[in-house]
Amino acid sequence: MQFPDIEITERLFLYFGIVAFIIFVLVVFFINRFTVKYRDKGEIPVQSGGNEKFEVGMIIIAVCITTFFLVMTLMGMKSIQTIPDNPKADLNIIGHQWWWEARYTESGVLTANEIHIPVGEKILLGLTSADVIHSWWIPDLGRKLDMIPGMKSYMWLYSEKEGEFLGACSEFCGAQHARMRIRVIVQSREDFEAWEQGQLKEAKFSSDALFNRGKQVFEERTCTNCHSITVNQDSADIGPNLTHFASRKHFLSDMKENNKENLRAWLKDPQQVKSGAKMPNFIFPEEELEALVHYLSNLK
Amino acid sequence: MYLWLALFFFIIGGLEAMVLRAQLALPNNELISPETYNQLFTMHGTTMIFLVLMPALIGLGTYLIPLMIGANEMAFPRLNAFSLWMTFMGGTLLYFSFFAGGGPDAGWFNYAPLSENNYSSSHGVDYYLIGLILTGIGSIGAALNFVTTVLTLRAPDMKLNMLPLFVWMMFINGFLILAAFPLLNAGLFMMLIDRQFDAHFFIPSSGGSAILWQHFFWAFGHPEVYILALPAFGIISEVIPVFSRKPIFGYKFVASSTVAIALLAFGVWVHHMFAVGMSNTVNGFFAASSMLIGIPTGIKVINWIGTMYKGSIRMTVSMMFALAFLIDFTIGGLSGASFAIVPIDWQLTDTYYVVAHIHYVFLGGTAFGIFAGIFYWFPKITGRHLSEKLGKWHLWLFVFGFNMTFLLQHMLGILGMPRRIYTYPDLPYWKILNLISSIGAIFMFVAIGIFLYNIFITLKKPRSAEDNPWEAWTLEWSTPSPPNLKNFEQLPPIHSRRPLWDLNNPDNPDKRLN
Repeated sequence: MQFPDIEITERLFLYFGIVAFIIFVLVVFFINRFTVKYRDKGEIPVQSGGNEKFEVGMIIIAVCITTFFLVMTLMGMKSIQTIPDNPKADLNIIGHQWWWEARYTESGVLTANEIHIPVGEKILLGLTSADVIHSWWIPDLGRKLDMIPGMKSYMWLYSEKEGEFLGACSEFCGAQHARMRIRVIVQSREDFEAWEQGQLKEAKFSSDALFNRGKQVFEERTCTNCHSITVNQDSADIGPNLTHFASRKHFLSDMKENNKENLRAWLKDPQQVKSGAKMPNFIFPEEELEALVHYLSNLK
Repeated sequence: MYLWLALFFFIIGGLEAMVLRAQLALPNNELISPETYNQLFTMHGTTMIFLVLMPALIGLGTYLIPLMIGANEMAFPRLNAFSLWMTFMGGTLLYFSFFAGGGPDAGWFNYAPLSENNYSSSHGVDYYLIGLILTGIGSIGAALNFVTTVLTLRAPDMKLNMLPLFVWMMFINGFLILAAFPLLNAGLFMMLIDRQFDAHFFIPSSGGSAILWQHFFWAFGHPEVYILALPAFGIISEVIPVFSRKPIFGYKFVASSTVAIALLAFGVWVHHMFAVGMSNTVNGFFAASSMLIGIPTGIKVINWIGTMYKGSIRMTVSMMFALAFLIDFTIGGLSGASFAIVPIDWQLTDTYYVVAHIHYVFLGGTAFGIFAGIFYWFPKITGRHLSEKLGKWHLWLFVFGFNMTFLLQHMLGILGMPRRIYTYPDLPYWKILNLISSIGAIFMFVAIGIFLYNIFITLKKPRSAEDNPWEAWTLEWSTPSPPNLKNFEQLPPIHSRRPLWDLNNPDNPDKRLN
């Protein structure tokens, strides 16, 4: 059993595909047959100019096919996109150049790029954008919907199956549109709640000297101007919230695996890794880089 | 002149496409930077639509309309020259952007707010706006000229229902252009004011609306698709009957379906915006109109095939391009119909499925139509026949490469590959499908090389074409090849849609229509 929205779409596509294939085969068949059968033999054929009854018949057939698909389409739209009045989103996603900010309404969890949802529950997504138009699209989990600055749109997100699902920004949004990908992790209710609890804990403190040095660098080097390290819902995020950065398996919108090596390369020269990204190059000395990588990769 | 302009920009746009396909041949390729890629795909789209297909079709119209209706010139010769140079200036300004700090990088559709100062800080988009305003004025001038010429300068005996179908479609097309391009130019001006004088038409953060731009753009943009398709339909409606030695099947239906398309074309634009998040009512209305517009288009395909029935078919390169048009345009039309089924659009819009669709319409449709027209009218225009042998190489390589490049892109879209991405991760099947697609582009590249060579060597030969080499029936073929400066010394009698047929078959003339 799949997500019903996807089933509707696939069924429509199947019907459409069958009709389109038949039409295409007929077109090719007749072109092929006529060009072979009526190849020039040097004679002038009868100069007939059409057959009105035939044309009207074809129009009637076309209208019937069209009506069938129109009814199917309207029914499909209604069952996929029926949103309650005064909707309250369970999960708000805000598009940024080139990452996804996620805010869970009920629990207050803040995260980015790796979205966790519980299996078998219909989740109302609220979508908007902080800069240009983006578009939310996880092919296996439902429809595509644009994320438009100054406007909030709603859609359902649902999965019957646990696992990880990939998607991508689907509206051209600038230099790194290609690398604005997203990952949705569908978990059992228990796993999801455990994950939420983990995310709600305040940022970690440690007596580890290198960790504290990294924290100091993070604060002194103005990282905090863009990246929060608290779970406070009021914090405005310019860059992704990093409170539990190390709990994410990938970073840079699913571009790189989250490991020390990749993180180091990124901090050393962001433009080298993802040209156009909004993160400036801080030219960290080696010692600071070391501490920062250690610090960030321990934020679980 | 128009045709040379189109050919010149066709080469540039084609080279841009080759670089794009080279970048996309392999996953995670870093051949060119994302910034360069975005400028190139923007310029590729803008060039091919506004500087290749538009001028090629306007050029054929300008040359042929007076000849086909028995007139000596267009109604406004100076406006004609003005239109051409506006288009030329627009194209030049568009390309000048590369020397002024970078090309436009927000796509040919130039969505706000990505195209506003905050997100596109080079002057590329400004050049795009000014360039398109100029080519837009050029197109409007040309359309005005078409409509006036057909209305006022027809041979005295030629009634409107006796127009050759190419002229009829260019005539209807004139009205489409007159209604659609002002919408685009209004939007372009508003954005120019946004960018230059800090207005807020399309900037949501200060009270504007990003969606408003999309409405302006697509209210122009969808009629534009038909503006590019109708003249090609017109060419096909001349070529297929002549090479089947039979009149068109259902003249009235072909002519009236053109009017139906022109009217419906203004009521379908939101199908480019189904994923924006408008209500089901709005989307449902535009789904219905988008499905409806498929009917007159389908009727045309049936009529073209019907024309061949019991004909006597001569397989010239021109006819073969017309048949390639029929098959590939059918694919493009069918895949287009799938977007009217809104839930399918919610999955596939802005994916490679759309990229495949648009190329089946513009390249497999319009461009094949133009090729058919060029091979058909080349002897009339230049007095020389293009080599049929080279033409067949051109045809087969191009058709093969075209389908190799674009057929599989439908699959890529269904697999989840968004369009306008400069690179992609190495997901299952993506690599092989993209690689095949890129290899197909090489075949098309070689085919166009052969086409250029064909034109080049043909123009060096002496003039040898007869007045009416294809035994066609419309008035242009009663003039010498190429025609005299004043087109006609004297017109043959015109009593039907096929005056030259009546002249050559006095014992079996067509029904008199006047």
